[in-house]
Parts: sequence; C-alpha cells; structure tokens
Amino acid sequence: MKTKKLIISAIVCLILVIASLPYMTACGGADKEGKTIKLGISTPSTGIAAEKGRPLEHGQKDAIAYVNAELGGVDGYQIEIVWRDNGYDAAQMSNIVRNFMDEGCVMFSTSSSAMMTASMGLANEYGFAGLAAFSSPNLYRPPQHIYGQLPDYGDDFLAFMDYYLDEIWEGSGQPTVAIHALNNSTGKGAINAARAYAEEMGITILWDGAVGKAFEHKADSLSEMESLTRINAMNPDVLYISSTPAPTALIVKNARELGMDVVIASGHAGLTSALVDLAGEDAEGVYGVFPTVSWGDDVPGMAKMMEYCEANHPEDAGNGDYITGWTQSLIMIEIVRTALQNADYDAIAAGDADAWAIIENEGIKKLSYDVEGLHGPVSYTVDDNRLSKSVLIFNIQNGIIKAITDWIEAPVVRYEDLDWFGQ
Amino acid sequence: MEGMTKKARLKKILKYTLWTLLGVVIAFFVFLCVVNADFLQFTITGLSVGMVYALIALGFVLVWKASSVANLALGQIVLISSWFSYTMLAQAGLPAYIGLPIVVLFALFLGWVIERFALRPLIAQPILSLIAVTLGIGYFLEGLITFIWPLSTAGLPELFPKEVIHIGSAVISQEYLWVIGICLLVFIALTVFFRYHRMGIAMRATADDQTAVQACGIPVTRVFSTSWMFACVVAAIGGVLISSIGGITHGLVETGLKAFSVVILGGLDSFIGAIVAGPIIGLAETYGGGYLTTYLWAGVRDIIPFVIIIIVMVIKPFGLFGEERIERI
Amino acid sequence: MSLPCGIRNLTYAQDMAIVRTKTQWGMLLGLLVVVFTAPLYLSNYWLGVFNLIGITIIAATGLNILTGYCGQLSIGHAGFIAVGAYTSAILTTRFEMPFLVGLICAGLMAGVIGIIFGLPSMRVKGFYLAITTIAAQFIIMWIINQWGWTGGQLGMTVPFASIGGYIFKSGQSQFYLIIGITVLCVFIAKNLVRTRVGRAFIAIRDNDLAAEVMGVNLTYYKLMAFFIGCFFAGIAGSLFAHWNITLTPEQFSFKNSILYVGIIIIGGLGKSVGPILGVLFINLLKEVLTINVVPFLEDKLTMFPSGFASGVTPMLFGLVIVLFLILEPRGIAHRWNLIKASYRLWPFSY
Repeated sequence: MKTKKLIISAIVCLILVIASLPYMTACGGADKEGKTIKLGISTPSTGIAAEKGRPLEHGQKDAIAYVNAELGGVDGYQIEIVWRDNGYDAAQMSNIVRNFMDEGCVMFSTSSSAMMTASMGLANEYGFAGLAAFSSPNLYRPPQHIYGQLPDYGDDFLAFMDYYLDEIWEGSGQPTVAIHALNNSTGKGAINAARAYAEEMGITILWDGAVGKAFEHKADSLSEMESLTRINAMNPDVLYISSTPAPTALIVKNARELGMDVVIASGHAGLTSALVDLAGEDAEGVYGVFPTVSWGDDVPGMAKMMEYCEANHPEDAGNGDYITGWTQSLIMIEIVRTALQNADYDAIAAGDADAWAIIENEGIKKLSYDVEGLHGPVSYTVDDNRLSKSVLIFNIQNGIIKAITDWIEAPVVRYEDLDWFGQ
Repeated sequence: MEGMTKKARLKKILKYTLWTLLGVVIAFFVFLCVVNADFLQFTITGLSVGMVYALIALGFVLVWKASSVANLALGQIVLISSWFSYTMLAQAGLPAYIGLPIVVLFALFLGWVIERFALRPLIAQPILSLIAVTLGIGYFLEGLITFIWPLSTAGLPELFPKEVIHIGSAVISQEYLWVIGICLLVFIALTVFFRYHRMGIAMRATADDQTAVQACGIPVTRVFSTSWMFACVVAAIGGVLISSIGGITHGLVETGLKAFSVVILGGLDSFIGAIVAGPIIGLAETYGGGYLTTYLWAGVRDIIPFVIIIIVMVIKPFGLFGEERIERI
Repeated sequence: MSLPCGIRNLTYAQDMAIVRTKTQWGMLLGLLVVVFTAPLYLSNYWLGVFNLIGITIIAATGLNILTGYCGQLSIGHAGFIAVGAYTSAILTTRFEMPFLVGLICAGLMAGVIGIIFGLPSMRVKGFYLAITTIAAQFIIMWIINQWGWTGGQLGMTVPFASIGGYIFKSGQSQFYLIIGITVLCVFIAKNLVRTRVGRAFIAIRDNDLAAEVMGVNLTYYKLMAFFIGCFFAGIAGSLFAHWNITLTPEQFSFKNSILYVGIIIIGGLGKSVGPILGVLFINLLKEVLTINVVPFLEDKLTMFPSGFASGVTPMLFGLVIVLFLILEPRGIAHRWNLIKASYRLWPFSY
C-alpha cells in the first residue's frame, strides 16, 4: 500500500510538472526582449530517419544560434526557433504545421521530403511557404508553395549519369543502369527522372519487369542478396542507389560480397559519413552525388560551421547532413533578410497569411545568395521551385568522401507534363 | 473402439505421407540448388536471414513460455544492447573477450530492471495490460537510446573475418555462418534448460498455471525475473550479431517486430518452432522476391511470408509446433 | 448500479436508459455545450489536435468493439483506416463523388476488407489471430504503396470535405463535422453493445465455446464484429483524408496499429468510455510532449548542446504509459468508474 501511494504521488508530480511546463514556456517567451522573427523547424530527430534527422537538427539550430549570437540576428532582429520533432510520423506532421502557423512562424522547413509530402496539402492550401532540404519532384511539380533547398533526387540521377557518360563510360552502345530505390519519395525521385530522361541521355534502364518499376528495398532491410542476384544476372554497368545511408551501405556490402563488377553510385540522401562508417572498406570507390561541398573544404562559411560543430556536436563532424542543416537555416535567414529589404518588419513578424505572402513574393522569389560557398548558389527562377540547382559528384577514397567535379547544373524537368507522373 | 483405431491408423498414414512429401520437397529443392545458381544463392540467403529472425524470435518465446506476455519492446531491447556493445567495443576500445561479457551482464541487468520495476507490480493483472506495459517500455528505451547515443547510426568493429565463403557458385559471408552457429547453440542451450533444469521446469509450470505454481511454493517472481533476464541476453546476442553485419540502425527495431511473424508461425511457446519458422520465412521472402517481383508489384517479398503464415494458421491454428490447448467450458 | 440512492427503476424503459437523473442530463448537456462551443476559444492548432483526437476516437471505438467487446485481437487497425481513407480519397478525386458518398463507401469498403481478413478467426484465436491482422496491415499497405490509383508512395492530394456546396475548410467547421460524427459514432457504439449483438460479442469474448453452446452463431457474430470494427475505422480514415488533405502510406504505419491497441488497453477494454479516455490521454500527452515540453527543455537548458532533448519525447511518453499502467492496470475507465462511485456515495463511501 505504501509503495502504491508513493507511485501515485510520483505520477501526480510528473503530470503536474508536464502540465505546468507549457505555462513556463509562455512566461519565458513573453519577457524576451527585443523584436523577433519566428522560423518553424521540424526534423525527424527520433524514429526511423533519425540517422539523418539528428545531424540536420543540430546543423539548423547551430546556424541560427550563430546568426543570433555573432551577427546580431537579421538586421538586428533576433531569429526565434520554433522547433518540433516529428519523429518521422506523418500522422503527426500536419498538426505540427498547424502549430507553426498558429505560433506566427513566417515559413517552415521539414528537411525530409516524406514529411514535407505529409504537410504539403495544408501548406499549399494556406500559402504557407515550406522549405525542404531533401526534396523529390512530387513536392513542387507543378510548383506551388513548397520549395526545395537543394536539387531533388531526380536531379542527382541525371547529373551522375551525365558525368558517367562523359568520364567513365568507355564501352560501345548504351550503358545499362539498374536502379535500387527506397520505397518512398526518395527512391521515386530517381525512378521518375530515369523514366523521363533515359532515352534522351542514351542509357538503358534495367527495369524490374514493367517500365517504371525499379528494384525496391525497405529502410529496415536485412539483406539485399536476393535483388542483387537478379540485378547481377542482368549484368548492368551501373548500380544506382537512391536511399538513406543504412540501406545504401547494406546494398553496397552485399554487392561486393556477390563480387559484382559495376560502378556503384548513390543519391544525395545516402551519401554521408554514416555510409562510410557502416560499409567500411566496401564503400571504397563508390560514387555519389551531393549538393554541398565536402567537409573541411576551403570556402568562406566552412570555418564558422566547423567551429560550431566542434563545440556543440563533435559526433557530427564530417557529416554532410550537418552542412545541409546549417545551410538550410542560413537560407531561411537570408530569405527573411531579403524580405525585410522589401517590406517592413511588422508586416513580416505578424506571421499571418499576409506575412507568408510577403516572405514568398518579396523573400523567396527575390532571393540571390551564395550560401557562403557551402553549396551551389540559391536563387529563384520562374516555374522552378528548386532554389539551388547544382550538385557535385563525389567519390569515396580511403574512407573520405571527396568531390571530383565542379558544380554541375541540373536541368528543370517538367514532370507534370508527362502523362505517367503521379499515376 | 474400432472407429478409434481406424482413425488412428488414418492419422498414422497421413503422418507418413506428410513426412515423405516433406522429404520429396527437400530433395527437389536440393536438386534445384545444384542445377540453378540463382536458386542456390536464394536458398543460402534465405536460410541465413531466416536464422537471424529465429535468433530474435527465441528471446520472444522465452518470455512467452514463462509468463504468456508478448514482449512488444523486443526490437528496442535488441537496439539498446547493440548500442551498449558499441560503447564497449568501439568507444571504450575493449577487446571482444572482455567487452562482450560486459554486454551480457548489461543485458542481465536490463532484464532484471524491466521485470522488477515495470512488470512485477502487474503480476496477476489482465495480461493485455502487461503487453501494453511492454509497449511503453519500448517507447522509453527508444527515447533513452536517442538521449544517450546522439550518433543514431554506427558500425561495430569487426568481430568476424570478412572474407566471403563460396558454396558452389553462391556466396555467403562468414558473419552469417556465425549467426547460424550461435543461433543453434542458443537453441540447444534453451531446450536443454527448459527440459531438465529445475528453473526451466518451473518456468513452464508457471506459464501453465500461475496460481497452482504459487501454491506449490515455486517463487513466481524469481521465475519471471529469470526469464526476462535470459530473454534480454538472447536479444543482446542477436543485437550484437545483426549489428556486426549491418551496423547499428533504427531498422533493428523493425527486425525485432519481424520476429512476431516467426514466433506465431512456429507456435508461441516452441523453441523448435522458432528455429524452423525463421528459415521458412527467410526462404519465403527470398524465393518470393526472387521469382515473383518481376511479374508482380515491387515489394512482394515482404508479403509472401504473410500469405504462407495465414494458410498455415488456418490448417494448424496453434502454429507449426505450438502446444494445442484443449478447451473446456 | 450507477444510480444514486433512492432512485428506483419503475419501468423497463427506465432501467435501460443511459441517462437518468436530472444531474446526469445536466452534466451531459453541459459537456456537449462545452464541446460544441470549443471552437470559439481554441486556436487553430488546438482545433487541429482535437480534430485528430475525434478521428482517433472513432477508430479506437471500432477497435474497442472488435477487441474489447468481441475479444478478437487486431494489430492491423491502421491498415483498415487506410482502406477507408484511400477509398474516400479515390471516390472524391477520381470519380468526383460527393464527400458523403465517399464517407459511407469508405466505411463499407473497410468493413468488407475487415470481413475478408477476419475469416481466419473461424479457426484461429487469441494471439495467433493477431498475425492475420498484422498480415492485413502489411498487405493493405503494400497494395496502397504500389497501386497507381492511390498515388503510390508519393501519396495523393484530397479535397476538403464538403456537403451541399459548403466546404469544411476552416478548423472550426472541420471541428463541428468531425466531433459531430464522433458523438454519433460513440452513441451508436454505446447502444450497439447493449443490444443482442453486443451481448453476443461479450459472450464470445468471455468464452466462445460456451457462447456457441448457448446458441450464438460464432461465424456470424465474429465476422460482424470485424465488419463493425473496421466500418468505424473506415469512417475515421475518410475523415482523416478530408481533414489532412494529403495522404501518404506512411501515415498508416504498423507502429500506429500497435499504438491503437495500447490506446484501448490504457483507456479500458470493453468500456464504451475507454477509447475516449485512452485517446485523450495518449494524444494529448504526445502533443504536449512534442509541442511544449521538449522545445521548452531545449530553450531553457542551454548548458547542454542543442538537440539533446529530442529523445525526451519517446522517453517520457513511454515512462508515463508504464507508470500509468502500474498504477491503474485496468485502464482509465476503471478509475473513472471509481471516481464516479465515490462522488455518488459521498460522504458514506462504505
């Protein structure tokens, strides 16, 4: 009986603490000095995509902390983060977007394309601009209020195949390419690009049966020997993987075990330091596409970013996703800065439908920013919601992901004009 | 009387026919393996992946056998033990022969804590409440993992040699051979323990009738505690082995969930069931994936096992080797 | 029984009535007034939260009928919700049918699919039956993932609900629509289990052999339980589709299915108020943790590196569930009844 009473009091205390926290937040927010602008940030920091979500979260928060502390915010206005962990739970994501709108955020980012897919209906309906670091064509074809920070998974494929045809391919006829795709928008992006452009580029895609059906895997796959055995029987020249790091590492390892003699390439969702950690020696020689520079490159913004990463998150050192998160925040801040040049603070800080329209028309659409050299320059062109359009090709050598080309620009693909898109 | 013997004879004939059929099927598979290289590879992959499922399933059966609780936190226990072994082997840099015993101790401790603080207070409560508690434990462990290890993915240092072994034209990595060996060892140890050891017998008795066992003077609490500790050790062994193959990722939780299908197919309270059902599901996945994906939708690999399980369940409602409960009103 | 002292049942109708005394009527009306004026003082976000809670209550009520009353364990409820959501979405977008048709068809479709996957319940029971519902979850999601009409892995965009030209776009109007249907569903469920059908369900749950001997047609009633349970899931799915207006397969994950079982256990199995309390508890806990507690910790505890708190959401979520069940293993509904009893019997509770 005594223990039961103890437990009861413990639970009551816990619930009281939990219930009282929101009020304390309210107080904390109210007595903050100065004028602020709110940015909504949601990352999949827990759940199945945490391997990417956490470095992204760290990068995004550190960048905003840097701008607030060292640059004095945007034109003197502090940036306030409204951060919500979505746990890669699509059902919860829509309420997070509602929360962002209610909190008076001027725009929001989700990092992940799947989470943006889950929230794009509401965002488009209310004209609440969203930025996704990792994007796939379905988010902005046709273009509405969702923007892609970086080229999408389809652009990766096209850029890599361009490079492959120019630099690596030596045989005659058309090279054959097998695509191993994750079973969500990450994989679908590459498949759609391949389907749209294969003929024009002069490559043969090895479909798994019907046209448009690539080899597919799940994020929690334990072995891909079976699919790779079938791919091996088709004898491809290139194995292109569009997936997250863990399954990419698994596929690379299995392909090496089978002794496959192919060029392996990975899209930008899979090419991070985690891939090298997980695949070890097997990752040697793997090509990949990534839209940011590599860790430690000599570009203006690198030193500051590495300093913050070293101080706050040493475990993320060398991780491309940290760069992506960092630049995602920098771009959002730059959008606010651009908007502030064309409109007054009060209209923007209100965070209502008018503010969202101002951010989009005066900020995003007038954006021109070099992202301190950390990735390709961002700007808006009509009918193309990708802000940055260029990628680099990387190669893994001695456990280091090294850029081997200059910026490659990916073309606009009007997927919505293709009759099979969205079917 | 005569009717009975007739029925018994019929049953005997049916049994022999089934065994012969099984033999013919296996012989046919072996034949196919010899003539078709792809088929051989599919078989080997299916068997090795299936053994991984079986290994995790053993931990599930262990808890079920002692307390009839379905452990929904299995995947998270696998994951947290993998992370702990990462801390021991990679971060602290201990050699495997020191680090792994520490991992086992950790697993024992984890099992004790879970049983003592989450499940003990619920003894004699509705069984579904216990299952819901394991659901809560799963969430808690998942959060704890995120909290302690901000890395979210990592590779274990190599425990096994890396070279692949060629069997005919097919390949199998040595890691999987280790998995199969260790899985069989764990299986034998558990079977012997449950058959001959006092504690094992007590566990079986407890699962059968908790009240009667208490009346006989068997310490039910200690039985539960031991079963959870053992289950966590089995899960930890599974975790270390799987993450040495594929790295430590959140996917381990889903792999843990996969063990459910294995256990149900094999029979919830049967170790041999888990050992047999694991490879069956593994093989169903690879054969299904290997030969049907081209003609059906992608991802058919994950569906085939369920179709097989449903068919088996309709024929044998208590799984392949599960104990049939005779119900009385 | 749940009546204060001194009140007697004089007619059969009185005995059967759910709401009896003036106080009870008053409290019910008060509750309804509070619920239906909520949009006046709730922000858009909280309306969204309560809309989702309403939808989840409908689905959980269905699962409660299936699992709590009829004893057929289902770990694939999210799959059946998905059937409803996509049926309604496809009918309203590709065939341009009105929302109400979509809503009803969603329920029927989910019910029929439920019957198909309920067929093994003829032979299989208990935890072994769980596998056929798990199979339902994975097979349904596989079809949705791969079939062209559902938009596959990229999902599809759905219009807002509309009845007779009126579009439920704002949070307030959606709230009235969803909570209205929720109240209706809870009312139907509450009364359903008091009929012959409901008593048959309970008999099957308590001992299906005994029920069969008593003349309960097991096949008929088990499949009926699957149909009704999944019908509710389909309705919930349809509302979800037209409320969220984007559907992706990832919204209906296996993890959600497991959580649904957790919700009805925590709420109280086989109690009509159980799913309501369970959903309120779980959803509010989750929202408060994600929206308030964790960002607050991030904000205040600046000595830790940014991002340290993201693990806190699942940790506290799990911890509260565990503690709660240790304290109240029979679910919130049980505690609720105790509170009601002590109120009724006060000051002479013994």
